Amino acid sequence: MTQTVKAVNAQSARQLTRQRRLAAWKRVWKQFRQRRSGMLGLGVLMFFVIVALAAPILSSSNGLDVTKANGPLLGPPSSRYWLGTDENGRSVLTLLIWGARISLFVGIVATLISMVLGTVLGLVSGYFGGWVGRITFRLTEWFLVIPFLPLAIVLASVLGPGLFNIVIVIGVTSWPGTALLIRSQTLSIKERAYIDRARAIGAGRWHQMSKHVLPNVMPMVFANTTLTVAIAILSETTLSFLGLGDPTRTSWGTMLDGAYHAGAITTGCWWYVVPPGVCVVLVVLAFTLIGQALEEILNPRLRAR
Amino acid sequence: MSVPAADTGLAEAEAAAEGGQPRRRGYASYVGFKVLGSIGSFFFMLVVNFFLFRVLPGDPARTLGRGRLSTPAQVEAFNKTYALGESIPRQFLTFLHNTFTGQLGISVEYHEPVSTLILHALWPTLLLVGSSTILATVIGVYLGIRGAWRRGGLFDRITTGSSLTLYAMPEWWLGLLLIAALGVGFWFIPGLFPTGGLHSPDVDPNSLHGVLDTMWHLALPVTTLTLAYLADFSLIMRSSLLDELGEDYLQTARAKGLRDIQVRNRHAVRNAMLPTTTIIALNIGFVVGGAITVETVFSIPGLGLLATNAIGVPDFWVLQGTFLVASAGVIVANLCANLIYGWIDPRVRT
Amino acid sequence: MKTGRVVESSLCSQVREDGGVADGGQPLVRVGADDAVLSVGVRPSRRGRRRLGLTSRGPRGIATLSRRFRRVTGHGGHRTAGRLLVVVGLLLASLTPALALGAPASAKTKVVFHVAMLGESVDSLNPFVGIQSPSYEMWGLTYDYLVGYSMTDMSPEPDLATKWTTSSDGKTWTFTVRKGVKFSDGVPLTANDVAYTFNRVLHGKTEQASWISYLNGVTEITAPNATTVVMKLKQPSATLPLLPIPIVPEHVWKHVTEADVKTYSAAPSNGQPVVGEGPFRLVEGTANGDTFKFEANPDYWGGRPHVDEVIFQFYKNDDSAIQAMLKGEVDFVEGITALEVKHLQSQPGVTAHNGNSPGFEEIAFNTGSVDLKTGKPIGNPNPAMLDPKFRHALGYALNLPQLIQKVYQGAGLPGTTIVPPSYTKYHWEPPAGQKMTFDLAKAGQLLDAAGYKKGPDGLRTMPGGKPIGTLRLDARSDSPTSINAMDYFKSWLSQLGIKSQVSTPSSNQLTDIILKGNFDAFYWGWFVEPDPDNMLSYLTCGQRGNWSDSWFCNKQYDTLYREQHVQTDQAKREAEVKNMQQILYQQSPYLVTAYDATGEAVRSDHFACFVAQPNPGGVWLEQYGVYNYIHIKPASEAGNCHSATGGGKLHGAVAATKGGSSSSISVAFTVGGAVVVAAVLAVLGVMLMRRRATAGDRE
Repeated sequence: MTQTVKAVNAQSARQLTRQRRLAAWKRVWKQFRQRRSGMLGLGVLMFFVIVALAAPILSSSNGLDVTKANGPLLGPPSSRYWLGTDENGRSVLTLLIWGARISLFVGIVATLISMVLGTVLGLVSGYFGGWVGRITFRLTEWFLVIPFLPLAIVLASVLGPGLFNIVIVIGVTSWPGTALLIRSQTLSIKERAYIDRARAIGAGRWHQMSKHVLPNVMPMVFANTTLTVAIAILSETTLSFLGLGDPTRTSWGTMLDGAYHAGAITTGCWWYVVPPGVCVVLVVLAFTLIGQALEEILNPRLRAR
Repeated sequence: MSVPAADTGLAEAEAAAEGGQPRRRGYASYVGFKVLGSIGSFFFMLVVNFFLFRVLPGDPARTLGRGRLSTPAQVEAFNKTYALGESIPRQFLTFLHNTFTGQLGISVEYHEPVSTLILHALWPTLLLVGSSTILATVIGVYLGIRGAWRRGGLFDRITTGSSLTLYAMPEWWLGLLLIAALGVGFWFIPGLFPTGGLHSPDVDPNSLHGVLDTMWHLALPVTTLTLAYLADFSLIMRSSLLDELGEDYLQTARAKGLRDIQVRNRHAVRNAMLPTTTIIALNIGFVVGGAITVETVFSIPGLGLLATNAIGVPDFWVLQGTFLVASAGVIVANLCANLIYGWIDPRVRT
Repeated sequence: MKTGRVVESSLCSQVREDGGVADGGQPLVRVGADDAVLSVGVRPSRRGRRRLGLTSRGPRGIATLSRRFRRVTGHGGHRTAGRLLVVVGLLLASLTPALALGAPASAKTKVVFHVAMLGESVDSLNPFVGIQSPSYEMWGLTYDYLVGYSMTDMSPEPDLATKWTTSSDGKTWTFTVRKGVKFSDGVPLTANDVAYTFNRVLHGKTEQASWISYLNGVTEITAPNATTVVMKLKQPSATLPLLPIPIVPEHVWKHVTEADVKTYSAAPSNGQPVVGEGPFRLVEGTANGDTFKFEANPDYWGGRPHVDEVIFQFYKNDDSAIQAMLKGEVDFVEGITALEVKHLQSQPGVTAHNGNSPGFEEIAFNTGSVDLKTGKPIGNPNPAMLDPKFRHALGYALNLPQLIQKVYQGAGLPGTTIVPPSYTKYHWEPPAGQKMTFDLAKAGQLLDAAGYKKGPDGLRTMPGGKPIGTLRLDARSDSPTSINAMDYFKSWLSQLGIKSQVSTPSSNQLTDIILKGNFDAFYWGWFVEPDPDNMLSYLTCGQRGNWSDSWFCNKQYDTLYREQHVQTDQAKREAEVKNMQQILYQQSPYLVTAYDATGEAVRSDHFACFVAQPNPGGVWLEQYGVYNYIHIKPASEAGNCHSATGGGKLHGAVAATKGGSSSSISVAFTVGGAVVVAAVLAVLGVMLMRRRATAGDRE
């Protein structure tokens, strides 16, 4: 009997935490739903995610194979090719659909790298005082002043073109912003009473960090992530345009690169130039709107406005 | 692209404000502190620069010297200049020495000193980025203020919406669209603007005609960059003004009987200009980085084009040199921004 | 840039170090070949068109030029454009008298040929230093050569030398130098200048780098009198009299010491044009600049050109250059894509074509990479690749017409051997019985016969029954053409039952991969000089580890190479060269896929009478020599281009056409300028109004 009671209590303590967090997320969701711009962003994003996931259903991957392409070269939109064809006779629409996969993939994976790096370094520099904190903080600051695009270009030229290289390049060049944000959050959470209490009852640093600090900075990390994805997708597009992308895979950036070098501007092939760019703008805008909405909800300072 | 770094000053100030003890310094010591920090950044950047170009695959004399080194004597001289045969610390010292004496290497492509190439390319970039920054500042600040003042109004919604869209747009794609629409022309509309270059072939750039001709050539690239910067500036101006509008002192000011417009211009805007100034100062540091793609699309013979052209060769000396200049620019601009900020707003001198 | 490939340049060091030109111990053969790359001949194969115009190896570096022909009449015609913005227009006009001069400036009517160059700029105006292809164009206009190239097939033709003779042992060449030639500063050109230039190349370290290959085997050059140059050789040389070395004036260059030559710019200074004997003289421009202005040399021995000025303007991308041409700002664009050519052909006033240029692209195989010192294999070529029968069978699995149609967008010709058909004297065309055509069944039979039979899984195996594995096909990340071509190759291989995989290293990385032997096949191209000697040498055993990229080594081929290199009987040499191509065709270290074409477009309503080299079917502007700069005429004076075609001996001169959109630059300029000013005024106006409103609020 007593045992069961204990068990129930033990369970409910954990459950309680879980419930509290769940409730918190529900609250966030409720607030989020009230923000029209955020919902709009989410809608657009869902659309592209579905397109990316359903790419094999929407169009055969054979459409990407230049050896199987038999459309006209740079042909205008027609009933067969809704968005015209590229310089190899492939359907632009097919490229666009499959390009969504690569663009989103690069954006998200690069952001994950950047988030992990940024969160770890931000936590460390915020939580630890002394030289550890100081060094990581300085490191972050230094990285912050290295201009992103030149660094990315240099890295990409050194590593050579390739999908994973571009992911790595974007990942390792975009973390400092996140790190600073996490650091400032950590600093303020560190001062709160419950951390003192935890410390008083003997919680180790690892425990404090993983059980108290991290869960509390997570919402900010989350909001920041969506903003970083937006930037990562833009970066991928730009690097691909500069010829540093993976030439064997189709992303929106490599499409624009192809269009530019095939002379699509001069020959007036708008169908090859406009759609990939519009997709980039929509997706980046979607992530930005979502990120902004989340930030407003999660960041008390902004909420006050 | 300038976004992550654009927060530097702010994020730092914020971090300092939130985390640090309110140990306020005098301006002199603040300056000293910041200058030291910048020197640290610069040193770090040199280290990064050094190692990035030492991890290149292959024999440096071959990779970095490429076809230019034809005799063993030349290879030896090359290795000696860059201390390539020696230990890493020794190489690093030599690298420092070369950097500070302006020896940035010889371009593989043009066999001219990289420093000369960079000097030549500096002016077009400054012209392009400078005029865009000024235009974007004026327009962006204006839009930001107007938007924030009537928050949620039609004007605000339109400007915020278009700023966000512009922000989401790769600036070179915008440039391509402008080229297609206004340079190439479409339908029955002829192209009015040149699609690239800085001046017409046989125009003396120093004559009045030449100046106008250059303006004409710069119209599209400057518009492109202005729109790109504008998005940043107006959003930041708007949000920092919104921040200020929530502050109590404005209520006090209104209570004193000041007109709205006076409250806005004398108090709120003045304070909100701080972060915006910082961002703009920082932006100037991104001269190279920011204009790389736009210069490429519009064939403006500046630093950005120099760098992108070096990618394909690849001309590592040029890449290293432009990277160095780009980073140095950001560090100096960053320092200036911090100094201005610290001077105007003592709160950040922690 | 000039070379087809990067690799090579890095290797030159080795070459020179052991080869040295006149080093007695080395077989002469090698030397010539090694250094050649640095020189002229090897203009880049342009097809790959590097992105962003950079290109070096793959594509084009060469530029293109374009011209605008503007008859400058005295009055500016822009006012019309003012229209709605009358006020602004007036303002501009009054503010800027210079604006009105947009057109005129000088009262005299000048004929200006504007050429748009694409890609990298001139790297040096000093002919002993530069290596980029646009630089050759600049030197070609400024200086002249002892021996020139014919328009039909680029064979040697009199230029500064009116004739030449060879001694019976082939070791002494005597050139007779043209009389009455003057440098642009009025000093007469004599045999002394020629001997001086060649001796500089022979003895100067810097000067050797680019040019020594043309003088290989030469021991002594003298000028016994003002019109005679005598060259002594160690052994006969088949490549003479090909001597495309710019002849520089001794009275100018004697002040440039051996130590200074590396940094000597040879650019106009203090308003003084560069001194040369060519048809034009450079009055404005510096290395790496974006504008180069030449004016006609009135004293040119071949007669004054029909244009007064040639202006080269460098553009970094096709779009700008093409738009500039459509607007009439430039008259010639070169190096554009096949699709752009197609688009331009429909524009009024423009004539565009894809001209055959003497280069080829190929699929190259690793025929056996070895450590040259120990002779042991290095790298990891697929064993099947080492078998000539296997490689040759794959030649029947290439649908070249389809490749040209799809990958090259129709520009170019299906390839056969490493000497392009433009060089009619040297090209060997495989007879029908030997020619590899697309025939998968035949390819299968050949593979079966050689022991590469299909296993139970449908994949071919090695003769012993071991699986072949996956062939690695390396394309270059900077060349979409190479990637697409390899994709096609992959699909054809899979139909043969051979697995393969395409990877895309950068050109630089590929260079390393090739040197280490870690490849099976790759896609690249070469630009071939008018004398095939250099190209042939790249496939000799001695070039492995240097210029050879297929690690090919064949005794019979090498023997023939040495023979033709010293062959003084032209007919015999041609037979030997063809024989060598036949060996290569059978052994298949390369499967030549395509002969390049270069897209060119000209404002034929401005200028006409461009003649292609090789003729017919070749390119119009970036030729060997500067024929068209001298022979083109303003469209209004073109007539039937009688003089340009040598009275009809050459074919296909570009005829003058009527009326393109001469949206004269000045009109566009005024309208554009007005729009800019109006926009600025509008912004200022809005701000002023706001200001006023604010001021009003305050009151």
